[in-house]
Amino acid sequence: MPTFTIDDRTIEAKPGQTIIQAASEHGLDVPHFCWHPSLSVAGNCRMCLVDVGMPKMNPDRTPALDESGNPIIMFMPKLQIACATQVSEGMVVRLNHPKVKPAQEAVMEFLLVNHPLDCPICDEAGQCKLQEYGYKHSKGESRFEEVKNHKDKRVPLGPNVLFDGERCISCSRCIRYAKEEAQQPVLTFVDRGDHVTIETFPGTQFDSPYSMNVIEICPVGALTSQDFRFKARVWDMSFNESICTGCSRGCNTQAGTRNNEILRLEPNTNMDVNQYWMCDHGRLSQFKFVNENRVVKPLVRTNGVLTETDWDAAIAKAAELLKSVKAGEIAVIGSAKATNEDNYALVRFAKEVLNTPNVDFFRHENASFGDEKLRRSDMTPNSTGALEVGVKPASGGVSAKDLAAKITSGAIKALYVMEEDLAAISPELASALDKLTVLVVHAANHTETAKKAHVVFAVATYAELEGTYTNFQNRVQHVEPFVVTTENERRMGMKMSRLDKFGAHNDRWTQGERRNCRQSWRVITGLAKAMGAESDKWRYRASEDVFEDIADTVPFFSGLNYGLLDERKGVISGEAEKEFAEVYEYESHTLKPN
Amino acid sequence: MDILMLFAIGLLKAAIVVFLVMLPGAVIAVYSERRLAAFIQMRLGPNRVGPFGLMQAFADVAKLIFKEDIVPAQANRFFHTLAPLIAVTTTAALFAVIPFADYVMIGDTRIDFAVAPNVNLAVLYILAVSSVAVYSMTFAGWSSGSKYPMLGSLRSAAQMISYELTLGSSLIGIIMMTGSFNLNDIVHAQANLKWNIFYQPLGFIIFLVASFAETNRAPFDLVEAEPELVGGYHTEYTGMKFGLFMLVEFVHIIIAPCIIATLFLGGWQPPIPTFILNAIGIQEGTIIMVLLQLGSFAAKVLFMMAFFIWVRWSLPRFRYDQLMNLGWKVMLPLSLINIIITAVVMFLLK
Amino acid sequence: MANINTNTRAQKMTFWERIYLPEIAKGLAATFKQALQPKMTRSYPEERFEPNGSYRGRPVLVLEESGERCVACGLCSRVCPALAIEVQAAETLTRDKERYPEKFEINMLRCIFCGFCEEVCPEEAIVMSKDYEMIYTNREDAILGKEKLLVPMAQLQDRLEYLRSHQYYEPQSV
Repeated sequence: MPTFTIDDRTIEAKPGQTIIQAASEHGLDVPHFCWHPSLSVAGNCRMCLVDVGMPKMNPDRTPALDESGNPIIMFMPKLQIACATQVSEGMVVRLNHPKVKPAQEAVMEFLLVNHPLDCPICDEAGQCKLQEYGYKHSKGESRFEEVKNHKDKRVPLGPNVLFDGERCISCSRCIRYAKEEAQQPVLTFVDRGDHVTIETFPGTQFDSPYSMNVIEICPVGALTSQDFRFKARVWDMSFNESICTGCSRGCNTQAGTRNNEILRLEPNTNMDVNQYWMCDHGRLSQFKFVNENRVVKPLVRTNGVLTETDWDAAIAKAAELLKSVKAGEIAVIGSAKATNEDNYALVRFAKEVLNTPNVDFFRHENASFGDEKLRRSDMTPNSTGALEVGVKPASGGVSAKDLAAKITSGAIKALYVMEEDLAAISPELASALDKLTVLVVHAANHTETAKKAHVVFAVATYAELEGTYTNFQNRVQHVEPFVVTTENERRMGMKMSRLDKFGAHNDRWTQGERRNCRQSWRVITGLAKAMGAESDKWRYRASEDVFEDIADTVPFFSGLNYGLLDERKGVISGEAEKEFAEVYEYESHTLKPN
Repeated sequence: MDILMLFAIGLLKAAIVVFLVMLPGAVIAVYSERRLAAFIQMRLGPNRVGPFGLMQAFADVAKLIFKEDIVPAQANRFFHTLAPLIAVTTTAALFAVIPFADYVMIGDTRIDFAVAPNVNLAVLYILAVSSVAVYSMTFAGWSSGSKYPMLGSLRSAAQMISYELTLGSSLIGIIMMTGSFNLNDIVHAQANLKWNIFYQPLGFIIFLVASFAETNRAPFDLVEAEPELVGGYHTEYTGMKFGLFMLVEFVHIIIAPCIIATLFLGGWQPPIPTFILNAIGIQEGTIIMVLLQLGSFAAKVLFMMAFFIWVRWSLPRFRYDQLMNLGWKVMLPLSLINIIITAVVMFLLK
Repeated sequence: MANINTNTRAQKMTFWERIYLPEIAKGLAATFKQALQPKMTRSYPEERFEPNGSYRGRPVLVLEESGERCVACGLCSRVCPALAIEVQAAETLTRDKERYPEKFEINMLRCIFCGFCEEVCPEEAIVMSKDYEMIYTNREDAILGKEKLLVPMAQLQDRLEYLRSHQYYEPQSV
């Protein structure tokens, strides 16, 4: 355990750690561009120069002392890079030192020689490491009077990533990421000197399923997303933490939202789940269904046509329809896409109100999707949780795989579907749905199932609800809303983006769709009461109430609560009592408001 | 002449005075008030409606007529409507005794240029009628059912009663000198430039100040002190009822100069001695003489009117305690002193 | 109300000030002199006010021969204290600047003419014009789009020169 000093601060490092690692784990930020904790050390940006000294040793290997009894420190004649210098016992590092500052300023001046100064145009502006250091570690002046180098500005490295040669500062983070993390070594430097640029090898393209992570780790705006490019400035969006619902990994994300519309998703560091990364599929697939084609109000079929109505009318209609069918002829379908809370409420509803044993959910396995890095073949976020809260047929109940046959044979006459598109699962099921006398659906989008339904409840997506998902590691993770609906409007407040927050009702930028959606458990609670359940047993007012109920009754969730989940960024089932040590989470660069 | 004829002539004269003196006078007053105020404030003032903005007052009236007439829910509807009518009537009634010129002989008929010529107690009539005007303000304030008009009207009642004393007693000097309450006699006594202002300078100043207070004009316009009372007694008035109050306010700056001119500035007497007029062949009772008299009266009134406006845009408003101090502790004793001085001088000169 | 007799200023007054009338005469003389002064106002629609370069009128976008200067960086929108400006950027391949405003709207009902947008603009693309006559008969008309905001550079020469000569920092050669 080598102990060393940085600017009068003594730090105990792990053996073999470099200065920058040890420093950043203790909250000391050494300026750097090319270093990234999960990538190999390249040492080519020279930004992390520090003054390093070692204690002078006597011939008997004891530290030499001066008159006042302090060890004599021998500083190295030249500055060293903190990312490649390993810590050793007694080392002294000077970061804020008159020798270091001019070196940092010189590095910045060199980097800015050919970097275009058109931050107004660049998409990275506002969360750019170079821009930030331009304020922190640069003189703000350039002595370079010649014409800047011109390079190609729109080179597609792959289907999702666009490269701007002029903005690149040649830190090689993307090259190392492609090789080490994405396992697709197709990027390389070509040319030399100030003509150096990054290219893919001939005949290849950077199309790894994890290719878009280079956009975040690029310290400047050289790598941009084809999908997001120029859509919005970072400071106009709100960034809220959420969970990707694309597979059962449940990668932690940051969602950029403006005018009640998700514009981009990026990974949020969680060393236990997704580290610093997420896959391109998660990034690109998880917001279209939130933004588009939404059921904005509950629908009821009148005279053969689905028409918008209010919640009371829809719930009353659904209650009336469900009461008209015998208990054994109703099947209830939960969802691995829904939260633990919603599934739990559904199970209680099936057991206590409908009295039917026919409860199950459909799995969405896709073996070709899974890989060894992050992606899982189970493409739903909560199949573990759905199973644990009890979404499975009771004895004699109809299971999911028999459902189509049972409907066709007439054994099942009514179907209550929560957040699942049955018609898309198989053609048999799709045609079977037409034979039902009652079909009540919870849907966020106008799916084929919703189009066949008699009552459609407009429900919130993962972006609009508060709840928990259980991933394949049995890890329960808490999500909070970041898109506004009429249900959650009161609690959103400062989580909204700048213009949404301060806009008046007649401003155009507040005219984004404001949906009258509810979380499924709230719909079920209302429906249960409408069908005559004792209201004492359905006293849920917030998602937290439902989760408390789950934690009390389901052993899998015992000891968990929202506070604990937030504190530890998700807790694995059964580890609620386990000792918890906060781990250091590196953020390469983010928007720093104010 | 029988009584009916007299009545008809009186009515005709009254109509002529109202439509040819009072209303045009008010229009001139509105226009000159706004224009002079603008000049003093280095502005141009209304210059859009008609040539030089002369039609501004008509535009204002047209607007007021088409405004909605709102009576507040808490108001007493009868008195609320009555108040502006009292205000207009009493103010118009003051014109009855003002001699605008002497007389003219057409054939054998003598036409006097006053609605009610040779009223014995004209001065008392003026004092009496003008004090009835306080009813309009108290009614307006009380019947509006709102605190600001109420406060405004209470102030106005106290103010008018305080200054009426001074107003009356400042005239006693003139009446002592003339020996008559008849305005015609008072004007005739001022022939040959023997204007009362030269004989009664203190009385003139006291009367002038008191008439500012009586007409509720700046610097004594506490009745409608905007910063504290919104609009004073007419806060709750809209449309033409409000217009009537405004009309009265502007008629005040005609009638007060009329009275001042009659009492102190020689009334219709031209500023030329009678023997010179006679020498150049202008005789009493001829049309030329009457025109000269009308002209000089109008000039005096317009001058005083301009003075009223000038004072309003020059002097700041008095505080209420200052107003009362001035009225009771300065003006009233001064007017009494004026009576004594007049009496002593008259006694010594006899 | 009790009379206040401890007003030292009133006690210091001389006899002539105390009798008030000469002071009134002085006041009247002052206003009379004032009335003869040249007027400060002008007859507006006939005599128009021609502002000089320092005037902050309606904010407009500079239109050069090659197109608009604006690159839709959104700084004006960010700095606007009244949230009057909305910018939506998009990409273009036809110009040398790859970013341009697909939508640029100023809500003139919100604008307070502070000029922050102009001050923050890195491209000198939004400037305060001399236009001070803004009449809208409904809320929608007051939201000005690009077609109403773009003004040829020649018309804005005064303001641009004013800005150059009053720059806070020395222009750098780039």
